[in-house]
Amino acid sequence: MPLSVSLSIEGDTTVIELTGELDAKTAPEFHQTIEKAAGHGTGTVEIRMAGVGYMASAGLRSLVFAQQKVGSGVTIKVVGAIEPVSRTIRTAGLDRSIQLSDG
Amino acid sequence: MVGLARKPAVLEVPATVGALGEIAAFVLLLAGRAGLGKGATYRIRLAVDELATNIVMHGYRGGDGRITVRGRSGPDGVRIVIEDTAPAFDPVEGRLPPAPGVPPERRRVGGLGIHLALTSVDTYAYARRDGRNISTLTVKAEGTDACPPRT
Repeated sequence: MPLSVSLSIEGDTTVIELTGELDAKTAPEFHQTIEKAAGHGTGTVEIRMAGVGYMASAGLRSLVFAQQKVGSGVTIKVVGAIEPVSRTIRTAGLDRSIQLSDG
Repeated sequence: MVGLARKPAVLEVPATVGALGEIAAFVLLLAGRAGLGKGATYRIRLAVDELATNIVMHGYRGGDGRITVRGRSGPDGVRIVIEDTAPAFDPVEGRLPPAPGVPPERRRVGGLGIHLALTSVDTYAYARRDGRNISTLTVKAEGTDACPPRT
């Protein structure tokens, strides 16, 4: 299943919405969007993942890449991830630096 | 595993990122045949995906190669065997547990895929035979909690 990625700005928040499956094949599309989002310079980057039914470690790599790109002053939120996806994020320890919420 | 069908299904694909979807579809089919629940289906898919991705990216180091996936499904669950002819690599030794003290931007995520794979399944075994890396994974139909990986 392919990945759909959309990017928008809501006030001081850049919103990335993902739908589909995030794996080694589709993660490069997410990477490109992260590059664009980092260029917006907003205080928060919100990644909406309610439509992501599957995420492999390639998705974790993308989230780490996002942290590196936006810098330390920017908050990254992951919103609405299904349970196995948020569990994968927690397993990697990324929930210490990325805010996970049910949305 | 008792209760698994005798005749295994087999998929052989080139070791490319493009073939990962085919492997996932194969695993989902077997999980469906075994009547695995959503959680167990997700776990076996994740485990096979991570190990296959690792073979593509690091095993054959981007060169040509093939991956063979055999699967059996039965009332007790699913057993998957993944084989490749890349240089010897035991995932149990290559796994990288999360490092809580290390800042995320300095953390290696590569070995984490294997860690995810090994903690997602109920049993895991690695063997090197006749120039092949052989990983055997099982996920039980009823199990909800993943057991620690075994060698």
